[in-house]
This record gives sequence, C-alpha cells and structure tokens, in this order.
Amino acid sequence: MRITCENVIPIPLIEYPHTSDSLWGNTHVFEQGQKVHINAASGKGKTTLTHILAGFRHDYTGNISFDSTSISSFKPADWLRIRQSSLSFVFQDLQLFPSLTCEENILLKTNLKGGVSVSKLREWAEFLGLGDKWNTKAEIMSMGQQQRLCILRALSQPFETIVLDEPFSHLDEQNTQFALQLIQERCTELDAGFLLTTLDPTDRVSFNKEIKL
Amino acid sequence: MLKKLLFQNQDKKQVFLAAIGALLGMTFLITSTHFLYRINEFGEGSEILGSNILVVQRKVTAASTFNLSKNDFTQEEIKEIEQEPFIHRVQAVKSNNFRVWLETNSDLLPPFTTDAFIQSIDREFLDANAAEWKWDTNSRELPIIMPRDFVVMLNTFMSSMNRPQVTDELVTSIPFKLRISGAKGEKWLNVRIIGFTNEISALLVPMEFMNYANNKYGDEEEGKITQIIIQGKKGQFGSLEKYLDENNLEPKKSQMIMGRLKSIVSTLVMIVFIVSIVAVVSSGIVLLQYMRLLLSQNNYEVKTLLRIGYAPHFIASLFIRYFSLVFACSLFAAFGIFFILKLWVNHTLQIGGIYLNESLSLISILIIPLSFVLFITVGTISARKNVMKLFNK
Repeated sequence: MRITCENVIPIPLIEYPHTSDSLWGNTHVFEQGQKVHINAASGKGKTTLTHILAGFRHDYTGNISFDSTSISSFKPADWLRIRQSSLSFVFQDLQLFPSLTCEENILLKTNLKGGVSVSKLREWAEFLGLGDKWNTKAEIMSMGQQQRLCILRALSQPFETIVLDEPFSHLDEQNTQFALQLIQERCTELDAGFLLTTLDPTDRVSFNKEIKL
Repeated sequence: MLKKLLFQNQDKKQVFLAAIGALLGMTFLITSTHFLYRINEFGEGSEILGSNILVVQRKVTAASTFNLSKNDFTQEEIKEIEQEPFIHRVQAVKSNNFRVWLETNSDLLPPFTTDAFIQSIDREFLDANAAEWKWDTNSRELPIIMPRDFVVMLNTFMSSMNRPQVTDELVTSIPFKLRISGAKGEKWLNVRIIGFTNEISALLVPMEFMNYANNKYGDEEEGKITQIIIQGKKGQFGSLEKYLDENNLEPKKSQMIMGRLKSIVSTLVMIVFIVSIVAVVSSGIVLLQYMRLLLSQNNYEVKTLLRIGYAPHFIASLFIRYFSLVFACSLFAAFGIFFILKLWVNHTLQIGGIYLNESLSLISILIIPLSFVLFITVGTISARKNVMKLFNK
C-alpha cells in the first residue's frame, strides 16, 4: 500500500514551526514495502501520526491517501478492512486485554482474518522469550513482556505495512534485536514495509527512508 | 473468548434483578391479555346476537298499565338515542300484527302447539349465520332464532310427557311449523332454527318476512314501537346503564347482570393489562439500561476490539444476543407461570360457576414473539448506536 502525506499538520501542532525535512507540513510518499524510520523527540506527534493512520484521529489539516484514496473519505467499513488486512499496529499504549492470556490476546486478532497458525505463533513466542507466558494473563506480565506480546499480535495478522510506535521502549538490547529480526522476517515474508517511530536515532536496522517530525 | 472478555466480570446480581422484573411484567401481561380476551368472548359463543346488545322497553309502571303514560318510542327518539357516544347502533324491534302459532311437525314427537309472538331485527345485530338471515316469498323455509326460554318450556313439556329432554342441537333438528293467521287469511310455513338467544323472549324472524306478513295478514294499523334493540360500544356498559336508568328504560334483568359483570371484570383486567404494559416496558428499559451500563463498563475492551478490526455491528450483536437470551429466559419462565396461573384462575372461576374457554388464547401466545421482536429491535438500535459512538471516538 502506498501512503501519501500532503501538507499534513495535526491541529494541536499547527502553531509550531516545522522544518522542510519534517513530515508535518510537507509532502512525503511511503511506497509499498519501504522501511521507514520516523525519529522525533517527545511531544512532536509520533503517536498522533500512528492514530491518524489508524483512523482514530481526524484532527489534522492537509491530506493523507492510502493508494489513491483520501482517508478522509473512509467509512467505518473501509477502516475495518484496513485494520484487518492492510495496516498492522503496535501502539505505544499497547492496547492489550489485561484479563486475557497471551494466547487469547493473539487469537482475538487471528480470529478476524487468520494469518498465522497457532504452532507458528508459539514458535515466535518462544523466540521472543514468551514461551512460558503463553497462558499467563497480560495484566500480570511485565511491561517488556506486554510490549513483545503486542508485537506478536501485530505480526500475526496479514498486512502490507506495519506501524510501530516506540515498540522497544521497555525492551533490553537483546530482546530488541530479536523483535527487530522477527519484524524483518515477517515483512519479507509478506512483501510488506514498516513505519517505525523512535525517540532517538538508531543504527540497529537499515531503513529505506528516515524522516523527522 | 469474547464472552469472557465482555461479560465475565459483570455484576450478575443486576442482570438477575432486571430479568426478574421482565419475568413479572411479562407474566402479568400474558395473563391479563389472555383473560381480557376470554372474558370479552364469555357467553358470546352460544349467543347468536352480537355482543353488547340490549332489548329495551320503557319501565312498566301502574300508570303505563292503564295507558296513562307513554310506553312507545318515536323515530325521533330512536335517532336521539343513537347519537349517544356509548351507543353503536339502535333499531326498532318490529312485532307482528297477526296471530302466530308454533307447532311440532314430526311423528317422533308428541304434538305440541303454542301461541307465539314474533319480532324482527336486522342482520347487523347478528354475530353468526347472518348470511342465512334472509327470506323472500320463494323461500322454502323461514329462518328463525329461538329464545332459550322457549327451549326451557319445550323441555318442561317433554318431561311432563315422560320424554327425554332436548339440547340446543337437537332442537335445531326438530321440524317445526309456523301458522300465521290474520284478517286476510292464513298460511303455514316450515321453519329452520338457525340459533338461540338469551336476550329476546320472542321468536325472531327476518325483517323481510315481518314486512311481508304484516302487509299480507296483519291489521291495517301500523304497530307502535314498544321495544328497541341497542348495541352499546365495548367496555362502556356503565354509561349505557346510567343512560337507561335516567331515561326510565329497562332491559331484561339477565342481560343487565351479564353486561355489568363483563363490564366490571373487563375494566379490572384492563387496569391490570395497562399496569402490566408499564411493568414490561419498565423492565425492558431496565434491561436495556443495564446493557448500556455494561457497554460503558467495558468501554476500553469494546474500543480496543474496534481498534484491532472488529466491526461495530458484530460487537453490538454480542451484547444484544446476550440480553436477548436473558429476556428469552424471562419470557419462557413467564409463560410457564402464566400457564399455572391460568389453571388456577379457571378452577377458581369454575367453583364460582363461571366457565371460561380453557384453551390458550392466540393473543397470549402472540404477545411473546411480539415482545421479543420489540425488545430485539430496540436493543439492537440502542447497542449499535452506543458502539458506533465508541468507534467514532
């Protein structure tokens, strides 16, 4: 899926100056399969961008298009289709179900459009160090474990682009590397791209494009 | 999994109380609807005249006996009575101006002859067999409606002759002849009994026959209208009774008792019916309010489900399915309680000598799917609206 942002500025950031290399107020195109790094300090609108792309927020000027369709014209059914099979998200606030187990949180997602078998999911969970947490409720898992569970859930669905909003903020270096490896492999498998937002510049992974906010 | 997520951590006591409310409301609603229907039809099945019918005359006093006071009705007075809001229709009861005898016409029965008195009413006042209520000069038989008092008299006669008594059905199969005689001649007619009435003491014949016979065999003088037939509006018997009393009019006593009884019981059951509707609507609202409360308690879960790609209509359907099940259980239990209540009420009435139709009334069965459909419709609209609010947040 090709994502085009034309002169987009979130209303809360409209008063602030934006440089010519910023995503805000300029035109940027994210091609299908591109690996994009969005680097910005706190409060610059990383989560806002994720929420706009997910259709949770509509308070912005300019225009965003998925392929050639402006998302401002999307109806609820269009957003459902996008969330089920085009865009996958790792939200900064995770949006897990605390009362459900690791397995149940993932199955709630795969029940929608299928994607990955349970045995494959368990393999990935083992790889990310969640093998012994498969039947543990999310509410009693650590923040780092919850973050890895959220990455697992996002990877379990079919997608063309995965949007990751500070997905490693609670992970140590080793777990970050494992998570990145899994994300890369899954993107290659699906011929998909990703949009990764971080607070700091990173050299952990190679990107096709780097943008500031 | 979704059930576990959305319904496991709710306060079960609240949904139980709401379900009990729906159960009580529905029990009263089904029961009152059933008895309202059965009481209204009480006594109508065996009566050929339509419902709420009274045959009325002026009160008989010493003065009227000596022709010192008016005992007839003018056409203007009849029109005036018809204007009353609680009266559906009024008509003069036409009587014969010639002599009439009714005789048995069968070798199987002892010969029986009696002087008779005939009256006529239009077919609008008949409930059933209205199609048979016609006569012309080519008709082979004259349809008549027989007063039940006449059957009682016939049975008294049969007993005195050591013959078995006859039922309504048997009477209709006895061949009778009507002999009419007047200044201008005499005629014999075969008659066919098409029904019975408790409301009128004369033999009833079609208006066409009465006009024909009065012209052909009767006196020249047009008879006075001494009786009128009134059909009151349903459930307004009290107003009709008051009007008759104020205007010195009197119906047959048994008609008054049945009418008054039905009117009082119908009013009482109607009050219960209205209270039941209020109870059902209230309990439905409580259930739906609880559904909205549960939705708002699960605000985060519903919002997150929508964000990971679940459709609003699907989420709404989970809630409506759950609450429909609760409502359906209440309905099912209400019908069971109604069935037991019905047996008890019928038994109690039978001890008091009132025999209502014991079968389940169609309306009491229909009210169950109707309430269910109404609940689902309102519930679906409410659930979808609330879930869409979260989707757009």
